[in-house]
Amino acid sequence: MPETTPDPWNDPTAKPLIQFKNVTKRFGNFTAIEDLNIDIYEKEFFALLGPSGCGKTTMMRMLAGFETPTSGTILLDGQDISPIPPNKRSVNMMFQSYALFPHLTVFDNIAFGLKRSNMPKGQIADRVLEMLRLVQIEKFANRKPEQISGGQRQRVALARALAKAPKLLLLDEPLSALDKKLRQETQFELMDIQEKTGTTFVIVTHDQEEAMTVASRVAVMDHGKLKQVDTPDRIYEAPNSAYVADFIGEVNIIEGRSTTQGDTVSIAWAEGQPEIIGTLSKPGLEGNVTFLIRPEKIAISAEKPTDRRNTFQGKVVDIAYLGNLSTYYVQMPNGQMIKAQAANSRRRSSRPFTWEDTVWLSWTDTAGIILDR
Amino acid sequence: MNFRRIFLFSIPYVWLLALFLAPFLIVFKISLSDIALAIPPYTPTLDLSGGWVAFKDFFSQLDFENFTFLASDSLYWKSYLSSVQIALISTFICLMIGFPIAYGMANAPQEWQPTLMLLVILPFWTSFLIRVYSLIGILSQDGILNQFLLWLSIIGEPLVILNTNWAVYIGIVYTYCPFMILPIYATLTKLDASLLEAAEDLGCSRTSAFWQITVPLSKSGIIAGCFLVFIPALGEFVIPSLLGGSGTLMIGKVLFEEFFANRDWPVAGAVAVILLLILIIPIVLYQRNEQKMMEAEK
Repeated sequence: MPETTPDPWNDPTAKPLIQFKNVTKRFGNFTAIEDLNIDIYEKEFFALLGPSGCGKTTMMRMLAGFETPTSGTILLDGQDISPIPPNKRSVNMMFQSYALFPHLTVFDNIAFGLKRSNMPKGQIADRVLEMLRLVQIEKFANRKPEQISGGQRQRVALARALAKAPKLLLLDEPLSALDKKLRQETQFELMDIQEKTGTTFVIVTHDQEEAMTVASRVAVMDHGKLKQVDTPDRIYEAPNSAYVADFIGEVNIIEGRSTTQGDTVSIAWAEGQPEIIGTLSKPGLEGNVTFLIRPEKIAISAEKPTDRRNTFQGKVVDIAYLGNLSTYYVQMPNGQMIKAQAANSRRRSSRPFTWEDTVWLSWTDTAGIILDR
Repeated sequence: MNFRRIFLFSIPYVWLLALFLAPFLIVFKISLSDIALAIPPYTPTLDLSGGWVAFKDFFSQLDFENFTFLASDSLYWKSYLSSVQIALISTFICLMIGFPIAYGMANAPQEWQPTLMLLVILPFWTSFLIRVYSLIGILSQDGILNQFLLWLSIIGEPLVILNTNWAVYIGIVYTYCPFMILPIYATLTKLDASLLEAAEDLGCSRTSAFWQITVPLSKSGIIAGCFLVFIPALGEFVIPSLLGGSGTLMIGKVLFEEFFANRDWPVAGAVAVILLLILIIPIVLYQRNEQKMMEAEK
């Protein structure tokens, strides 16, 4: 396998496999995709993440060839694919419902695409066996789809979509029909298979955990627009909008007015409260800002901590006990609710806080993100 | 097992026993009897007051004479054959017309489908007999069809359609096409559209996706439709006797003539028994197909 840079999106010389150029898709009056630009690189595991109706499925269907853009172009390997019908594209899709052919055996389902190609008969059987081994379902080759479990069907669908060795594999909510345990196992297998085959994967999902686990880059979409395209850790730690921060994981959103002195920013957010001290992520933030901070970055203590500048007193209103973690809903004097998360490293009986307790919340200068409002 | 269940179980069996098996045994008995100028027009009749001797005497008089007669007279086997032929060809024509209609209905916009369904069923709102009579008006020498074709100058002189096998085919296809359309439509509406997309995605053209996916997956509907047309068409009596000519040989017509024109009940009985035996084969096959369909849906 030729060496590729681990992050081709940062390499200006890298040639993208897929390019969306000013793509718009309308269904009647409804705009599903609006003026969208995106580059997806070879061997990427790219996740399209968003709530239902955000246009992610439409993007995928345009890649597969089931929809054509109203305007703009989609390039695959530098070639405009709009005029190419789905059966002539080197793009295969794994359907959300799996869409296995009920009248064919597992073997024939996987062989279906190969039989439409000009592959010699003898090689077809070899290729199908290879695929069956890849997804570990050799035992079920002669069964009909109705005779195997949901997890096995998911594997057949994956094997069928990979059999023709497409340049690009599209996965439409591939794991949504599986239960949680199986889904987590399968996520790692998907990554394994993606690495083994070296195929570019584009996955559509509304499950942020799934996207974060499997993807090399995540595109967060809303109402037909890209909100942010970045690696999972950047999406989580450096969201570019309150929408993205709120969509991925939990976040406290505090609004205020900022004043900048050098690198430090002070945010006045409530009367009679000390200002929030933060560091500047980009220059020129002055005036109305939004301060975002993840609950797990807020420490909760009975005594006022002395090593941090951001310390605020509040009252515990609610506690969500999740087993490994507890989320404390702490009310500030001005009524603002702030979520703080703490790992339950001690047994419950010895937990220091309970409802109605007065506690101190604290965080470091760099814990939060300051965005324009 | 409790009584309630036995009772529920027994309803269909009692129904079949009283309304199918008992009449069949009576017809079968008549087919083994001899013609007689009496009421009823056959002999022997069972006289239970005569005791055991009369009972034995009754059975000794029954024989398979009428069946051997059917085999010896070419009219009968020719009628059976011609009935099978007419039924097969009609079934095929119904399939050729019915499948595209069902396909069109299944792919029509959702809000249109109930209306289209209604249009297919609409003919059943009038009597079958009236519809066949109106076909006479359409197909006859000076009927609407001929007048229309003459007006278009497609033909120079009226076509002879009525009282030929053509009219019989038209009648059967017209009457039984809904029975072909409805089961096919039922299977086609259940067809998951993503299967066709998957087939296209894997390299099929639209046409080959139709043959690879749509047709095999609507097979059970096609088979059900074919039987629903073939079975009644085989024994059809009204259509060949009203629309067909003297040259139209169909076993339903022969049966009617034996019963009512010849008043030869025993031979008519034998004709009916053989017809039933011929029909049992497709009926059993139809039942098996239905069972498969139900299992597939589980």
